[in-house]
Amino acid sequence: MESTHRVRRRIAGAACAVALALPLTACDALTPGSTTAVSGPRSVPSSTAVPDGDVTLRLQFADAPLMVDALIAAFEKDHPGISVEPQYKTFSDYVQNLKLTMTSDTAPDIAQYAVGMTDLAADGHILDLAPYREAYGWDDAIPPVSLDQLTAGQTSEATGGRALFGVPAGLSMTGIYYNKELAEKAGIDGPPKTLAEFEDQLAAAKDAGLTPLGVGALDSGGLHLWAALLNQTMPTDDYWDWVNGTKGATIENRAGITASALVVEWGRKGYYNESANGTGQLDSTAQFTKGDSVFLINGNWAAGQLATAMGDNVGFFPMPGEDATDPTVASGFSVSYAVSSRTEHPEAAGVFLDFLTSPEAGQIISDNGFLPPNPEAVAKPEGVLADIAEGHRRAVADDGITTFPDFAAPAMLDRLRSGVQKLIADRVEPADYLDSLQDEWEEHHAE
Amino acid sequence: MPSRPPVRPPGAPVRPSATRGRSPWRGYVYVLPAFLVYFAFAVLPALHTAYLSLFEWDGVTLGDWVGLGNYQEILQDSVLRRSVFNALVLVVFFSFVPIVLGLAMTGLLARYRRPGMGAYRFLFMLPQVIPLVAVGVTWRWLYGDDGLVNQTFRAVGLDGVTRAWLGDFGAALIAVGLVGTWVLSGLCMMLFLSGVQKVDPSLYEAARIDGAGPVREFVSVTLPHLRGELAVAMTVTTVAALASFDIVYVTTNGGPGEQTTVPGLLVYRLAFSEGKVGLAAALAVVLGCLILAIVYLINRLSRSES
Repeated sequence: MESTHRVRRRIAGAACAVALALPLTACDALTPGSTTAVSGPRSVPSSTAVPDGDVTLRLQFADAPLMVDALIAAFEKDHPGISVEPQYKTFSDYVQNLKLTMTSDTAPDIAQYAVGMTDLAADGHILDLAPYREAYGWDDAIPPVSLDQLTAGQTSEATGGRALFGVPAGLSMTGIYYNKELAEKAGIDGPPKTLAEFEDQLAAAKDAGLTPLGVGALDSGGLHLWAALLNQTMPTDDYWDWVNGTKGATIENRAGITASALVVEWGRKGYYNESANGTGQLDSTAQFTKGDSVFLINGNWAAGQLATAMGDNVGFFPMPGEDATDPTVASGFSVSYAVSSRTEHPEAAGVFLDFLTSPEAGQIISDNGFLPPNPEAVAKPEGVLADIAEGHRRAVADDGITTFPDFAAPAMLDRLRSGVQKLIADRVEPADYLDSLQDEWEEHHAE
Repeated sequence: MPSRPPVRPPGAPVRPSATRGRSPWRGYVYVLPAFLVYFAFAVLPALHTAYLSLFEWDGVTLGDWVGLGNYQEILQDSVLRRSVFNALVLVVFFSFVPIVLGLAMTGLLARYRRPGMGAYRFLFMLPQVIPLVAVGVTWRWLYGDDGLVNQTFRAVGLDGVTRAWLGDFGAALIAVGLVGTWVLSGLCMMLFLSGVQKVDPSLYEAARIDGAGPVREFVSVTLPHLRGELAVAMTVTTVAALASFDIVYVTTNGGPGEQTTVPGLLVYRLAFSEGKVGLAAALAVVLGCLILAIVYLINRLSRSES
């Protein structure tokens, strides 16, 4: 009796421990993937009717909370019957959970378009918006080119034309912010024209006893820095090939080495905030507003907060090229919103997306540091927002908006983050770092 | 045991077919409801995970059968081996240090009844009550550039020691480990204190009459009576270390580099962000087996001593 009791207890304990250690919940079907197929419609209806009665839309997003709040407030004022409930997540949380969120029964009605949406679109988890494109006439409201980035490479079953899986509410790009007061103290008189000049400015800031460059490398700040440098050393077409997974593309080349070695060199020279690897992007931005560093690497999504906190004391410039005549190249993507196939209110979601293309929304988008899809429709921005609009205009004119490097593969974000942390701490050879990225790339693009 | 046949008064009518056929199983029938719940919510998910580990599956589309390929990949992955090493280092901070601290505090508190014991217990138990995510966020502030830890060092003139603890390649794992020490020391002490209360006070009296000092008394009387509690504490804290996720996820997310990457974090990443659910399941199975083996070893050791 004692021994069977013990055995049984042991088996129970074993199963229990396994169950505790494995927080993966059970799926219903035995073959993985067989139950996640979506049975509902794959595209939105083509009517633009505003639904009757009170509707609540849940909107999940990762960028620019201030802008989203302002957009929602304006939208709800125009459409009293529809309320929008924002659910903000930090970028890394958002991307990590995106697939899980969008395939669950509690998926938000509207979600920010991000890496991974292409797969979700292919499996019908987000709706094809092509019928709305025609019905609402979005091609007249915003330049068609910004919609054509959001086709996920698919043809629309509903219209026969290009599919559409998101509507842009603003375009993003990364670059360098600078604290004007501190820059003046260090003898820096304006945005640099070349990368070498920027390095001189970093050295000048260091000599003045200031922290030159704030980096929030605990999450995604480090990879923005690396990508910004890579944008200057690597031809844009090669970079696009690599991110898009074109056969034979590689990051293990002279351009990659130069950019990675620069990240190491700046670390050796003490240009970063001492705790870059232990500081998140939000924290590095907060420290920058307090005057902890002369420069800050971040994206225009922080501009709203920086303009509020620092007023005229902050400026912005895209990372300069190696030569003054080089095109302006910066990483960026549109902040766009997709609609879940599980939503019960596709019409209301359509009304909201259509609102995003309106001049009123464009003004809100512009006020928050994003370039509205149609810049002609809004008033000229001021201060740091004007710097960003100008930088973005130059980059667009030079065909120099590249996407973020983590779009190259789902696991790339983690590789980039931990890899750049090692570069900053001088713990890895640039070649080995690039090799780890390329391994991940080859694994994902093997088939 | 409930399966033994009931005692029957002599001469009572016997229905052999019914009694003999049913009684060995009757006990199991009583257990059935609990077993079903347990099976559905504990055994089945575990088996399902093991089953998933045989597929290459991205979490959305149909999976491909790869047999033991995922396990092979695990053995070859250097990041993974590093994560297991990190988890074993965390055992020192999550298990060994809290148990030693817990024993020390028990030795200090258990000898005499003092006023205010409830307050002590409350204070030491507090870290257990706070959600680990909140613990992680709090410690991220404490370890921050201008956090309390660095402020303290500066206040006593140790400016050279200050750093961003969670972003430092040398210090990050230790810093994360100390958070675990902070959380689990109170638990160990509570376990040991409650164990000490079962000890017959006359044993202490006898020890004191024999001239035993506090140390001798602790080693000869308290410690032997805490063997059961020690086994429980070791099991709970070791599992907490090996299956750690929340504290690491919130404080460092595995960085800098792979200095604080633990298997639990990789399971989560592989499954939910990298779309490698099969590999994640295989890693979870390996992690589960590793934990089971260690827990078995602990139980075995604590039993053979008795």
